[in-house]
Amino acid sequence: MKTMTMRWAVGILFAVLAAAVPGLAADKETLVVGVSSDVHTLDPAVSSDNYDWRQIYPAYDRLVKYKVVNGEGSTEVEPMAAESWTVSPDSLVWTFKIRKGIKFDDGTPLDAKAVTFSFERVLKIGKGPADNIGAIKTVEAVDDTTVKITLKSAFGPFLQTLATDAASIVNPAVMKHEKNGDLAQAWLAQNMDGSGPFKMTEWSRGERFVLSAKDNYWGAKPALKRVIIRFMRESSDQRMALESGDIDIAEGILIDQIPALEKNPNIVVRRFPSQLVEYVYINCQNPKLQNKLVRQALNTAVDYPGIITHVLRGNGVQMRGPVPKGMWGHKADVFQFQRNVAKGKELLKQAGAEKLDLTLIYSERRPSWEQIAAILQSNFADIGVNLKLELMANPTLREKVDRGDFELCLGAWSPDYADPSMFMNFWFDSNNFGLPGNRSRYKNEQVDGLVRKALALSDVAQRVALYNQAQEIIMQDAPYILLYQTQTIVPMRAWVKGYVYNPMLESMYNFESISKQ
Amino acid sequence: MAGERIGAWGRGKRPLRINVFDEFRRQYAWQIRELGFMVRLLGRNPSAVAGFAIIAGMVAMALAAPVLAPFNPIQISLGDRLLPPGGAHWFGTDELGRDILTRVMYGARISLWIGVIVVVIAGGLGAVIGAVSGYLGRRFDDLIMRVMDVILSFPPLVLAMALAAALGPSLNNAILAVAFVMIPKFARMVRGEALAVKEKQFIAAARASGAGSLWIVWHHVLPNCLSSVIVLGTLILGETILIAASLSFIGLGAQPPTPEWGAMISVGRKFLMDQWWYATFPGVFILVTVIGFNIFGDALRDVLDPRIRR
Amino acid sequence: MRIVSYVLKRLAYLVPVLLGVTLLVFIISHAIPGDPARMMAGQKASREAVENLRRSMGLDRPLYEQYLRYLAGLVQGDLGFSIRNQRPVLEDMRDFFPATLELTLASMLLCVTVGVPLGILSAVRRNRPIDHLSRIFSVFGVSMPVFWLGLMLLLLFYRHLGWLPGSGRLDIGIDPPAFVTGIYLLDSLLAGSLGTFRNALAHILLPAFCLSYVYLAIITRIVRSSMIAVMGLDFITTARANGIAEIVIISKHCLKNALIPTVTITGLSIGELLGGAILTETIFNWPGMGKYVVDSVNFLDFPAIMGFTLVVSFAYVLINLAVDVVYAFLDPQIRY
Repeated sequence: MKTMTMRWAVGILFAVLAAAVPGLAADKETLVVGVSSDVHTLDPAVSSDNYDWRQIYPAYDRLVKYKVVNGEGSTEVEPMAAESWTVSPDSLVWTFKIRKGIKFDDGTPLDAKAVTFSFERVLKIGKGPADNIGAIKTVEAVDDTTVKITLKSAFGPFLQTLATDAASIVNPAVMKHEKNGDLAQAWLAQNMDGSGPFKMTEWSRGERFVLSAKDNYWGAKPALKRVIIRFMRESSDQRMALESGDIDIAEGILIDQIPALEKNPNIVVRRFPSQLVEYVYINCQNPKLQNKLVRQALNTAVDYPGIITHVLRGNGVQMRGPVPKGMWGHKADVFQFQRNVAKGKELLKQAGAEKLDLTLIYSERRPSWEQIAAILQSNFADIGVNLKLELMANPTLREKVDRGDFELCLGAWSPDYADPSMFMNFWFDSNNFGLPGNRSRYKNEQVDGLVRKALALSDVAQRVALYNQAQEIIMQDAPYILLYQTQTIVPMRAWVKGYVYNPMLESMYNFESISKQ
Repeated sequence: MAGERIGAWGRGKRPLRINVFDEFRRQYAWQIRELGFMVRLLGRNPSAVAGFAIIAGMVAMALAAPVLAPFNPIQISLGDRLLPPGGAHWFGTDELGRDILTRVMYGARISLWIGVIVVVIAGGLGAVIGAVSGYLGRRFDDLIMRVMDVILSFPPLVLAMALAAALGPSLNNAILAVAFVMIPKFARMVRGEALAVKEKQFIAAARASGAGSLWIVWHHVLPNCLSSVIVLGTLILGETILIAASLSFIGLGAQPPTPEWGAMISVGRKFLMDQWWYATFPGVFILVTVIGFNIFGDALRDVLDPRIRR
Repeated sequence: MRIVSYVLKRLAYLVPVLLGVTLLVFIISHAIPGDPARMMAGQKASREAVENLRRSMGLDRPLYEQYLRYLAGLVQGDLGFSIRNQRPVLEDMRDFFPATLELTLASMLLCVTVGVPLGILSAVRRNRPIDHLSRIFSVFGVSMPVFWLGLMLLLLFYRHLGWLPGSGRLDIGIDPPAFVTGIYLLDSLLAGSLGTFRNALAHILLPAFCLSYVYLAIITRIVRSSMIAVMGLDFITTARANGIAEIVIISKHCLKNALIPTVTITGLSIGELLGGAILTETIFNWPGMGKYVVDSVNFLDFPAIMGFTLVVSFAYVLINLAVDVVYAFLDPQIRY
């Protein structure tokens, strides 16, 4: 019996060992990206998730695209499907000339009608992406190659919004898949029909997603033939696969494991200053938190350098003002809170709130949150605030934030287009209470006036002046605890060339210009 | 049968004498003798002794955690993150620099508490439902038993997960969810016993003397089922701890910074490949505790109540 | 004839139970505190967009009406619409089901091929070392936190020994075989691709063992005790007295009689395995229904949670019925 079992064990072992296959390292035309989150929907009019956009974006063309300057992503745009454009003096009417000869896979031309169809479809469906191009009032096809877009009101960053995923141009022929007036949503949720450089060739849910380059793309031909996006939930899995060369880029490796990776000569860990910020919403409408002295006290209690050193392992900087470094409108000399326990206690005393019990809610959306929550708990205890932690599912959390049913909440924010209004107007305009952006339910009429005025102007200097004025007031009112601006860390094999990071395209890749050497 | 006499616990009149202990001893002499006999029987059963030793050890550790544990279970210490076992930290530290041995010791309090409270809730509710259902019979019995069938139509973990998700992730909600799933097990068993007790002569006598249904259920039916409920409770304690830890593992149970074993494994999993100690030690304690309850429960069943067979 | 009427009776009795299951699932999923419309609309959506969505999803209707709509849909095979994946839950289930089925079948196979021989062995060598070992093995099995076992297996076989792959159904560079059944082990053989088959086999070993361990433990115990019970019976003693070889007695007479309880417990554990898949698939990143539902829980995608819970409990109920019927056929002593 014993020998039989042994023989079996050895047999199985051999079968298994024999199954080892050479990695894809040798294949220069296939790029493998390890990611932590599955793809959910492919419809550019429905998805508000960067992890979906990662797949959608390279399959479609847009009127404009972000420029690449010296190998770095910029927030300026340049022509893509549009050859050129003009704008009326009042900045309300934009006229785009469309490049001739771009075709969808079935031969339908990408023309003015396709643009009109796509934008109207997004607006009509009215989900998240509709807000990205929400400045648009009407879209008209003047002739085959001319599109006229009229805005509701002058909107400084309009051109940038046309480079977002929401502005992807969809083949109007998808309407043959329409069911019950859903504008083909059911079909586009799991199919793609764009004129971009890549198309989907396989989607095994929960396993992998495969994009293949099109031979007849109108623009520069991609060096890669195939991109495999492999779902690997665990950081350690991704790390081992990256080390063995099975994957070329790993997206979800925990900061704690980065130092070990950096020792490997075949792996390059690239760091980019991102504009993704993490912060705490302080519910300004909550009776315990209405007093700005209390909010200042909380801000004073936080050990910012401690969090950055230990949790981020130094991969981030403390925020200074709400507009992150790298975005224009960032004010380098605005007041910044520092940890000062004595001052925090003093502020609480002045506010008459020495025995304070607060609750912080957070989710597992970001891997660092659990640690940060625990640190805040201990920091607040130093100034005599008893902090209760409540971890919840992300949707529940967002529901609570939207209703204002919370005291403190951890959040993250990244801009969709390069304009400080993504922070100043979304976060502080009292018309945006709840999820849309003003999650602290902060209301200061003076600030409302300043940021609204700034949004309607197109002169950058004037806008900066108004935003600067607002920032000074905001830092005194302290409606948020501004923790830090992160660094995006992208570990990849050394043979991956041409990767461009763009802070507006967080977790998205320029597959069309990446190559392997 | 033994069960019938235990019923005397409920029927006894309140003693008026001063020496309560003597009176108690006299009145329950039979039960006390039986208890002693059982303990001796269990003492001769090696797995019962082993199981009991494990349980006693865990209970002692849970109770003494504040005295024995070398550190504070929730105080973070960022300079000591993810230290390997050794030195001051026998089991290493976690991602916030907390001592894992300390957290595991405090974790015993939580897991044992969950197990006991779930069994008390489910056993109590299940017994009442089963006894009433079995005693009243007919339509009511049918209805209740169909409801129990519905609950039993789900794999336990699946139903507990759906419930806990709906109630919102928290330790108390996880306890409610697991208790809900366990109710039918008690209800069915007690119902069966109630059906048997119902036919006994002393019930007919009580009814003849004008006792109401609820009174009879409370004073006669339930006390008769007590020993079976205790045996079943011990038997499913292990399962309860496992399900609760599984819920915590998928994020639907204890919330941080609570040092619950399943929740610790859930976080430790992220660090598995490099910091093996983080997920390993809490799991060892779950395994050992559940083994303790399982072998003790089996032995108890064999000794105490040969009627319950799976 | 009596069997037919028995089956019919059981079927009729299923209707209220299944109806109760749908009602319970419906009640649970409607207690979930998140707002599905808000989730669907996306992070930065405006309030009107959310309201429109709520209306179009029927979420503004009274509860009983939503339930009736849900039931009516169920009858037509409509399990609802996944919020996260933006498509019918039934389609999601269809995509994730084959992986779970493959894992479940592999685990069943392990249970039977390892559990039955081990049970026989410990019955034959009763109270010898092998029996004690098998007892310890079983006690560990029923006491094991499955998710922890999975992690330990990964730590040993993937991280330290490097013998087996860590996650997924196939290596990254291997394309899935052409779809026939969705079960890679079968499809790869049908496609004649031995390399893919071996790779799929390497990937399934750890999760299948992890999932099956609990039931392996139970089956071993059941086989052992029923073997022991049979071995003490008169006809075995007679056979032995007649000088029939021990091996023949065991394989022919004892095993046959010990099979009935084994079939029962094996059948019953299929339903349990479907539930256990939740933890195993999460640990091993196995793209099946269990992982799907855990992801849905994190997203509070309630139609998906509801769909999964319903499908699994229906399967559970039906398998139980099937087992009872098989049992009725096998064991002539049973009274219907």
